[in-house]
Amino acid sequence: MAALLRGLRVGRALRGFGSGEPRLATCPQCNGLRRGFHCAALRLQEDKDKSIPVPPSSAASSTTTYHEHYQAHPSKNNTATHMQEAPAPEAGAKEAPQPNTSYADQSGEQGEEYETEEQLQAHILNAALDFVQLHGWTLEAISAGAETLGLSAASSGMFQNGAGDLVLHFIAQCNAQLTEQMAEQHNQVQLGQAEPKKTAEFLRDAVETRLRMLTPYMDNWPQAMSILLLPHNIPDSLKHLSTLVDDIWYYAGDRSTDLNWYTKRAALTGIYNTTELVMIQDSSEDFQDTWNFLENRIQDIVNMAGAAKQAASTGEAVAQGLLGAAVTLKNLTGINQRR
Amino acid sequence: MAASIRLLARRIVRDAFRTINSSVSVRIVSSSCPSNLSACRCFSDGAADKSTHFGFETVSEGEKAERVYKVFESVAQKYDVMNDAMSLGVHRLWKDMLLHVMNPQPGIRLLDVAGGTGDISLRFLNYVRSQQERVARRTARANQTPSWQEISTSYTTPTEGIEMETEARESRAVVCDINKEMLKVGKQKAESMGVSSGLSWVVGDAEELPFDDDQFDVYTIAFGIRNVTHIDLALQEAVRVLKPGGRFMCLEFSKVTNPLLARLYDAYSFQMIPVLGEVIAGDWKSYQYLVESIRKFPDQETFKQMIEDAGLFSVRYHNLTGGVVALHSGFKL
Repeated sequence: MAALLRGLRVGRALRGFGSGEPRLATCPQCNGLRRGFHCAALRLQEDKDKSIPVPPSSAASSTTTYHEHYQAHPSKNNTATHMQEAPAPEAGAKEAPQPNTSYADQSGEQGEEYETEEQLQAHILNAALDFVQLHGWTLEAISAGAETLGLSAASSGMFQNGAGDLVLHFIAQCNAQLTEQMAEQHNQVQLGQAEPKKTAEFLRDAVETRLRMLTPYMDNWPQAMSILLLPHNIPDSLKHLSTLVDDIWYYAGDRSTDLNWYTKRAALTGIYNTTELVMIQDSSEDFQDTWNFLENRIQDIVNMAGAAKQAASTGEAVAQGLLGAAVTLKNLTGINQRR
Repeated sequence: MAASIRLLARRIVRDAFRTINSSVSVRIVSSSCPSNLSACRCFSDGAADKSTHFGFETVSEGEKAERVYKVFESVAQKYDVMNDAMSLGVHRLWKDMLLHVMNPQPGIRLLDVAGGTGDISLRFLNYVRSQQERVARRTARANQTPSWQEISTSYTTPTEGIEMETEARESRAVVCDINKEMLKVGKQKAESMGVSSGLSWVVGDAEELPFDDDQFDVYTIAFGIRNVTHIDLALQEAVRVLKPGGRFMCLEFSKVTNPLLARLYDAYSFQMIPVLGEVIAGDWKSYQYLVESIRKFPDQETFKQMIEDAGLFSVRYHNLTGGVVALHSGFKL
């Protein structure tokens, strides 16, 4: 029975050679690597070809994000863009492994595997986002996502943090998208093509843009928030939140180097978290209540900042007044005069 | 007088036979010796001449497979009882841990190599069944308060698509073992547990599996890979039969990390286990082989390297019971 199957396999391999499919059996290592690249390359190609319905902007931004991340590895980027433009999937899949293997020769096997794995994991998580409405933020969504890429459902075992990986990946994606948009706006202002916004308006637009990215997943977002609050996820979720707030303030123009740095970020963190909570319970048309709430909170901060300044100046004026009164008193009583 | 003469005659005849036999055997040995040597020289680049370890003995590779077969043939009837006795029942926890790490989704196909008595496969089927029950309960609870829209759509649509999907995606487990006796014991166990659907029993060699490429979602080998003569061939076969994205999982005895625990473990292995084997199963040598083969198996890091060399990615291992057992897992990407 085994011999029969072996014969069938050999026959298939020979037929494969005839049709021009590369079937290298030089050594198990190379075979595994090439097969890995073949699988990964096919998945990347399918992913680019397939129109990902929800969310479309994040898919486009994810490729550019990866371009930013992997700028140190130009050959990888070339293969990604090359695959995007290649018309026939087979041609793309065949041509893609070749620059990969040359890169592998330069930097060794381990680095290449790691990058393919990370990219593959990111692709699986992107595909899994489509199933969040059906399965929630769970391992089942990841398995369903892996199956759409042609991988077995067992590959969801790669994600040791399970649903946490999916949520953190989504958050990182949203933050990267927002940072990109803010950087673009900043460039446009630099080039003089757009007017610079006032701080309050900028903050409001940034937080609104970021929260609007959650609207497709609003039904399951409470589950995602609870996952982020799990003890083993808290360090990562806090890190994402703090970088988000820092980025928003940076592009709003904040360059403070004193205690203001902390107070501003703390204030914006508070605004963001409370607005998110309001958004979960919001049932108004297009979340209008949430945006009103956000507007009011930012106004509060602005008013408080203004009030703080006023209080400082009032305090200064009062202090000066008291000093003046003390000097006058001293003059009157004659202590100041030198006898 | 006649009796003593008869005895003498018998003794003479016996001695004569013995000398004849010995001379014949000597002649046979001497005649076969040169042919043996020539055969060895002929197979000098074949498997018959290469030697490997069988416990602490050194045997030829062809012989190892045969002797392993005999070991498991003799222990098959008392295999489960001996497992419980030797590990004080902890082997059940190890196998449960394997299933917990695997976390199988419904509809997955499992290949349990060296599955023997079917421990892993039966646990797998239980796990998937209880998961499906949990999902069914959850959907039933959710359907208890349907909204008006859901009720109206249920009137218009003919059948429930999701339910049919879960029915169609039935999980299947295939138990593959080289030893027919072990499979027989496993079949009896499954019948006594009342498990009939979703389980098949196949005789096969781990180094040359009788399955097509890209067939299985998960490949497990629990406490079997140290008995395989060529471990790298078994790993390559695993990579072949796994689907893309499939998972390879291996549960095997490994090196204990803590030195104190290692000394206790060694004492227990070499003093207690063969004695238990003799008392319960009446077989000292098989259990001597078992503990020796554990010492001969590569340690966690080396085995991880071997798995990576076979072409699997994202290879990780967990130590269970302080390193007594290691659970290795890799993915075919």
